[in-house]
Amino acid sequence: MSALARAWAVCAKDATQELRRKVAIVAVFFFAATALALVSFGIGPFGLRAEDRPPLLSALLWIILFFAAATGLPRAFVAEEETGTGLALRKTIPAVYVLAGKTLFNYILFLAMTAVTIPGFMILLEWRIGSFGALAAIMVAGGFGLAVVSTFLSALVARAGQRNVLFVLIAFPLVMPLLVSAIQATNQATNGQFPLDGIRILIAYDGAASCAAYMLAAVAWED
Amino acid sequence: MTKALKLLLLPYMGAVIAAAFLWPEPAKGFIGESSRIVFFHVPCAWAATLAFIVGAVYSALFLWKKNPWYDDVAVASIRIGLVFGVLTLITGSLFANIMWGTWWNWDPRESSYLLLVFLYGAYLFLRAAVEDPERRPRIAAAYALFAGVLMPFLTIVAPRVTASLHPQTVINPQGKILMDTPTRVVFFNGLAAFSGLFFWMLSIAARAERLGRRQVS
Repeated sequence: MSALARAWAVCAKDATQELRRKVAIVAVFFFAATALALVSFGIGPFGLRAEDRPPLLSALLWIILFFAAATGLPRAFVAEEETGTGLALRKTIPAVYVLAGKTLFNYILFLAMTAVTIPGFMILLEWRIGSFGALAAIMVAGGFGLAVVSTFLSALVARAGQRNVLFVLIAFPLVMPLLVSAIQATNQATNGQFPLDGIRILIAYDGAASCAAYMLAAVAWED
Repeated sequence: MTKALKLLLLPYMGAVIAAAFLWPEPAKGFIGESSRIVFFHVPCAWAATLAFIVGAVYSALFLWKKNPWYDDVAVASIRIGLVFGVLTLITGSLFANIMWGTWWNWDPRESSYLLLVFLYGAYLFLRAAVEDPERRPRIAAAYALFAGVLMPFLTIVAPRVTASLHPQTVINPQGKILMDTPTRVVFFNGLAAFSGLFFWMLSIAARAERLGRRQVS
């Protein structure tokens, strides 16, 4: 079985399990919808001055995306420990493929969440995007980094106490550079510019996080 | 650290502190004597960075050699790094209050440094949350290395993405050290003295960690 096939098998297993139980999907979408409703209720389409809208809405969008992701993405490895399947997975598939498969599933989940959240954000808050291509590139690059870091940290906290609190605690400072760059880039995309520097930073972050996660996968997951 | 070096460190540190207040002229463009904070604030930040790098290196050594002493050094180093990190925030805050009239103004560099302290504070929380003593050092080492890889994005990239009030850093876009000779001499000796202090503290704290581990086991 090739490396890609193994990672894909883990991703497909997670997707099947998730579609059956819908814990992460419901958590992620419910949080995103609640946060979106709260923001639109608090600000509404006319609650901000025109010149303040791009930076504030860009920041709000990424805050919603990050915290919505933080409710569902850490389940990647935690669910294996809760259902008692972690040991079987450790014995059958090398850690790096498990990490790759779970990262892929989390990435797909994140992209699906953004595909629902962004149109809602545009409609409820009258958010006008100047460059859709740039926004798509930011979501693809930013979402990948978020998925890699979340999945790796999920492996670290899977067998620790107070997992959910611990996850947010250790994830937030680590994803902060990604969020800062993504917010800046989204602000530029809102204004119709293509944020090449911001996207470069996101890709560099993705590369660094992926390499570190690849090197440390076995340490984080195996006994 | 040898006894001779420890004995030398006290007069050396004293000389650097005295020189910081007496030798260089206050820098232009700063209120009063506030620029002298650079002789304490930057060495604290440097010592914290050094401590986090040493922590990452010893975490890697632990994963490679499986020797618990390396884990003792890593955790001791990160604890000391946090002390220097908090001192960096306090000294920066003192400067901010004199220059900008507020103790804290969410400047990107202030915020990113605060998050750096949280990042390594989380390392200690993670250690405390893993109950299995066999797994704890491995998980902590993996986190320290992962954080070490992403740390430059927090300390170097993130503060440069947005506009900042922070004075120009030593590593600046011009690639030049913009200091006169007395400032430069005191500044670099300050870095050396704080590095010496860090290694002295580390040698004590690492042995204390080892004692604690042996008592528990």
